[in-house]
Amino acid sequence: MNARKHLPHYAMVLPFAALFATFFLYPIASGFYYSFHSWNGANPAVYVGLANYQSVVSSRDFTRAMSNLMLYIAITVPLGISVAFGLALLVDSFRGFWSNFFRSAFFLPVILPAFLAATIWRWMYAPNFGLVNMILGWFDLPSVNFLNDTGTMLYALIAVDIWVSAGFNMVILLAGLKGIPRDLYEAARLDGASKLQQIRYITIPMLAPVLFFVVTYGFISALQVFDVPWLLTGSSFTAYGGRRGALLFPVMDMMGRAFGAVRFGEAAAYGFILTLIIILFTAAMFGLRALRARK
Amino acid sequence: MTMRSRLAQLAATASLLAAGPVAAQELQYWVYSDFAQGDALKLQQEFIKEFETAHPGVKIVISGKGDDDLTSGQIAGAASGSLPDVFMNGLAVGAQLVEVGALANLHDQWMAMPQEFRDQFDKDAMASCSPAPDKIYCLPYTGFGEIMFRNLTVLEEAGIDTTTPPATWDEWLEQMKKVKAAGKFAMPDQTQVFNSVASTYAVVGDKAKWGVDFDKHQTLMDPESTTKLMQAFIDMAPLNSGTSRNDQATKDLFITNQLAFHVVGPWVDPTYKQASVDSGLKYDFVLVPGGKAGDHGGIKSYEIVGVAPGPNQDIAWQFATYITEKQQMLRWAKLLSRYNGNAAAMSDPEVAKLPLIEKSVEAVHYAADVMPPYFVGAYPNCYRSIMTDVSSGAADKEYTAEEGAKELISQLNDCLAQ
Repeated sequence: MNARKHLPHYAMVLPFAALFATFFLYPIASGFYYSFHSWNGANPAVYVGLANYQSVVSSRDFTRAMSNLMLYIAITVPLGISVAFGLALLVDSFRGFWSNFFRSAFFLPVILPAFLAATIWRWMYAPNFGLVNMILGWFDLPSVNFLNDTGTMLYALIAVDIWVSAGFNMVILLAGLKGIPRDLYEAARLDGASKLQQIRYITIPMLAPVLFFVVTYGFISALQVFDVPWLLTGSSFTAYGGRRGALLFPVMDMMGRAFGAVRFGEAAAYGFILTLIIILFTAAMFGLRALRARK
Repeated sequence: MTMRSRLAQLAATASLLAAGPVAAQELQYWVYSDFAQGDALKLQQEFIKEFETAHPGVKIVISGKGDDDLTSGQIAGAASGSLPDVFMNGLAVGAQLVEVGALANLHDQWMAMPQEFRDQFDKDAMASCSPAPDKIYCLPYTGFGEIMFRNLTVLEEAGIDTTTPPATWDEWLEQMKKVKAAGKFAMPDQTQVFNSVASTYAVVGDKAKWGVDFDKHQTLMDPESTTKLMQAFIDMAPLNSGTSRNDQATKDLFITNQLAFHVVGPWVDPTYKQASVDSGLKYDFVLVPGGKAGDHGGIKSYEIVGVAPGPNQDIAWQFATYITEKQQMLRWAKLLSRYNGNAAAMSDPEVAKLPLIEKSVEAVHYAADVMPPYFVGAYPNCYRSIMTDVSSGAADKEYTAEEGAKELISQLNDCLAQ
């Protein structure tokens, strides 16, 4: 009787539930199934137990991709958020036209397609006549082949990624800054607090929830880094990862296994390993936050 | 209207209605994106129109795809049962496509064709499509043999006589050193992509010992040739531009008279030709020198036309034979000045005298296949990355030539054993 009463409600939820099940639950379940099978997408899948997981974890490319990723995260997340925070403070200090101008200017790279961003930076990094090397030349510094020197490739990518993502984080932090009551700053000023002290004791604590979001989001995005290094290193299944794999990242490695080597089972296992890492990272972030709140 | 005429009208209408869906046969035709734009697209549309006129009720829908989209789309299409009916791709991905069931075995249809048709195709190209006597997985389409583009201004500034191209690797290396001494770059960095490593191997190594033995899971590379390969990278390291052969930066260096040699397929010619008009670039193209006089290096490969298994296979085969047939390949060659796998078209006097084709036909004769044998096994990802990594390691002086060769062969065999 009760079920019949709620039938219209269930009917309203049904389209979403059907779409959710078809395009979200089913692919996850089928991916999980295939992660235990040797499967090339066409022939019948053969159960192989944990062999795909073992094959991924024991491969040289996985080790390389993960070590690149760890270094990339360790630099990109704190540096990217610091840059975005600096930009947010800068834009917040302007009013009217200039505020809008800087907000738009810094946000512009966010809306650029990755292809364009990578193309622009490939030109900028070009040896000899790229803009970056031209600037180095003005100071009599030697030309650097940023996208071929294994010592500079990762940092070249980090600069592009920070350029691309800083605007997004800036807008979020800026919204957080707007929410901080101005009278707190006035009271601090009356008490003789310097600008730095105001940031240290008012801005950062008041922005804590926003910073938590930005840091968590930054981690998750960094774990999934794919398009810019893919495009910077040749954007093809035969040339990705760059010189000596210095720009090889897990998602690229996974794509290569799926469509380059046609090992869908192994790629599915890779996907679940990455998912597990993302879950662990996110849980660690929430755990740290809870611990801090308890203190 | 009498009853009889009314019945006749009804019968005619019914037969039309019944015939309609049967006759309308739509073929999905996937090509590389550069075949689906500009003049190339216009010519493709001409072929399609001609074929449709000769086969009423058949409609061909052409779609251009990027290299990776083409492969991933065909692999995903095979998995989901929505393969295009007829499509292009590169020989190098043939084994993956066979593995997923994207390519029909065309042996019987090929054998049913008149001898005259079969004789049109380049024998080596056709052999590449046929991994076993009873298997044929493709028809050769466009292709390339690498040639060496030379910037004559750079060479003249380095005091090099440009009238006689270097005949051997040693002569070529001497010229590279002179170019570097004149403050310019000799070559792109040949260690960056698999194809340029293969290209360098074809210059200094034994071309019969290149590729993979899929039965034994071993590389065919031998220590002697591989040592020469490593030594070539060590020798070229201080002379190169640090850019990949495929980078726009490499073309820019060539156009701005900073780079002497660019060993690559003929597809860069339109860019260089335009630069010769715009900025007076002085360049030519010659055969890639070989290890010894009379031999030459460089790699070759083909784009292929494949047909998917399925209900449209017969008509798709007919379309494939139409577009790869001499008359169409002639028109292609004239339009693009590009080599293709139809030997009859290539030897047509009007086409054979086109400079780029003349040189390409010659180059293909000497060049090594990029990833032989085709349609037998897929080169695993590690094979390609090991090749470029160890080559880079040798160029970075992490290994001597002998150590690099040993390391490369050992790592390649480990990769294949997995």
